[in-house]
Amino acid sequence: MLELKQVSKTYRVGNQDFPALKNISLTIEENAFMSFVGPSGSGKTTLLNLMGGLDRPTSGQVLFDGAQLESMNRSELAQIRKQHIGFIFQSHNLLPVYSVYENVLFPLLLNHLKEQDARERVMALVEKVGLTEQANKKPAELSGGQCQRVAIARALIKRPKLVLADEPTANLDTENSFRILELMQDLNEQYGAAFVFSTHDQRVTQFINREVRLEDGAVLWDKAKNGNGELE
Amino acid sequence: MIRWLIQGIVRDKTRFLFPFIVVGVGVALMITMLGFMDGIFMSMVETTSILDTGHLRLVNKAYYDEEHLNPMDRALGGQKATGKWLEEHSGTSIQWLPRIRWGAILDVPDEQGETLSQTPIQGMAMDLSSASPEIERLKLQKSLVQGSLPQHRFEMLIGYQLAETLDLQPGDSVTLIGQSFDGGLASDNYKVTGLIRFGVFAMDKKMALIDLKDAQDTFYMEDMVTEWLGFFPSRVAFQDYGRRKMELEPELKALKSQPPAGWYVDDDPILLTILEQRNMDEMAKMFLLIRGILLVIFTFLMVLVLWNAALLNGIHRYGEMGLRLALGETHIRLVGLAVFEALVIGCAGALAGSLLGGGLVWYLQEVGVDMGDAFAQSGMMLTDVMRGRLSLEGFVYGIVPGLAASALGTLCASFAIFKRSEANLFREMEV
Repeated sequence: MLELKQVSKTYRVGNQDFPALKNISLTIEENAFMSFVGPSGSGKTTLLNLMGGLDRPTSGQVLFDGAQLESMNRSELAQIRKQHIGFIFQSHNLLPVYSVYENVLFPLLLNHLKEQDARERVMALVEKVGLTEQANKKPAELSGGQCQRVAIARALIKRPKLVLADEPTANLDTENSFRILELMQDLNEQYGAAFVFSTHDQRVTQFINREVRLEDGAVLWDKAKNGNGELE
Repeated sequence: MIRWLIQGIVRDKTRFLFPFIVVGVGVALMITMLGFMDGIFMSMVETTSILDTGHLRLVNKAYYDEEHLNPMDRALGGQKATGKWLEEHSGTSIQWLPRIRWGAILDVPDEQGETLSQTPIQGMAMDLSSASPEIERLKLQKSLVQGSLPQHRFEMLIGYQLAETLDLQPGDSVTLIGQSFDGGLASDNYKVTGLIRFGVFAMDKKMALIDLKDAQDTFYMEDMVTEWLGFFPSRVAFQDYGRRKMELEPELKALKSQPPAGWYVDDDPILLTILEQRNMDEMAKMFLLIRGILLVIFTFLMVLVLWNAALLNGIHRYGEMGLRLALGETHIRLVGLAVFEALVIGCAGALAGSLLGGGLVWYLQEVGVDMGDAFAQSGMMLTDVMRGRLSLEGFVYGIVPGLAASALGTLCASFAIFKRSEANLFREMEV
């Protein structure tokens, strides 16, 4: 579904070049539930940017369903994001003046669906993330964990092929982190969207099926879970 | 999507309130200011036209060239024929009224007939019969301070301040001593029937009105008038008077080639708009220029304030804009929707501003502001009570800049959206 071929990204600051990614080659399958781990500055967020069509590589190719993202213009990339990619941020970034229901509805409105046609779909997903009772509440009335659930529902409502999550549990306590990861795991199985996280959080490891460790912009190792649930 | 955006505007006071107030106050000020300016200027135009120049004026060229001398010997003959021709050729949208402008000494006798006091006065003769449109046009009935309108021959109305100066009361007899049409002595006795408050200091102090027929008898001007004043309905803007004059001029030229009986050989009537008299054209240009400058300054200030408001709004909604970019909205669409939101708020502000400004102008139009003391010594043809003028044009000039400022202010602030890079969104939205 998503393929990175010899992808490099270099940032120029002043007169100096800083390589953020060096010749990364990866393939992300449909239904993937995986994470990028590594210290700060290892290139995790840069990699998510490239995969999500938010940035372009300095060299190499990013193929989304066979389409080359690096050769697309801004509006074509926006179109790919609008239709096929969901985003979950470290901070939930819900729109404060809208209710839970309206926040989840928003991506569908961007895709020109009418509210009356989308209502059932939105409410079904709100129920799936366990927030039916809170559907009409504003984000300020919810806990951090509940807000992140809304963010997950918002990312999934358009039935994306890929969900990119940058440190989704960083602002949550352990209990809420587990709940969120269980929820995402559950939704990954039900909806079939690939979930890719960047994270520092070791707790994530027990939930994912594949882990890619980055250091200094390069892949240190790429491990998948075996039949015993161990990464190898 | 539009409903969703409007819900956001309604719920988010910080997004709505400040630009709403700026546009509302700006539009209200603009409408009030323009309404008051228009009112003052149009009131001056109307006062000048009614008492002096008409909207159009037909007058002998020789008379017009020397009119400061009141040269009655250059008056236009053939009153009846000229009136008939004007009626037939100007259409129904203009009303022509004959006038005689005269100057004389007003002599007040005592009981023995000896002069008690006297003063030079300016006078106007017009049709003062009860069915005359002049009564309504000059609002004579309403302007009567004391006494009544003339009912019989050789009766006179005078300015109330002139009456105070000469210690005259309705019922008193006076003598007009002046120069006849052909340069002889003209003298007739008149009875003062009413004291008038014209609302113009210069006229209240020096003006007398008599009936046209009486003036023709007193000054030996049988079938003659010094001028014809033409009045358009109020819907005709003063900028259109020139065009209407040009439509009539070829017909007047044709008339001059075959003049009616009663015209003298050297009669050469010309048509003048109000803008061609009393320096009104310069005043109109100056008025329009000042109005335009104020309009631009107000709009510019509104753009500046709304630009800042939109910048603050951009900071307030920084996360939302980033999220929308990440979710696949293009920069241009974000800007477009921001402008749409600004226009929705602008419309609400403009509506509130129109109600407020319209209400103020209506009050100024109906009640006005009495500036009589300030104008007392000016001698200008201005009414004592300054009034606003409620017009569709005033609303357009208030609302359009208000909406334009809303859109422009947001567009200026939206450059920040264009500069925003998607590559930084994950980092920007960590907090």
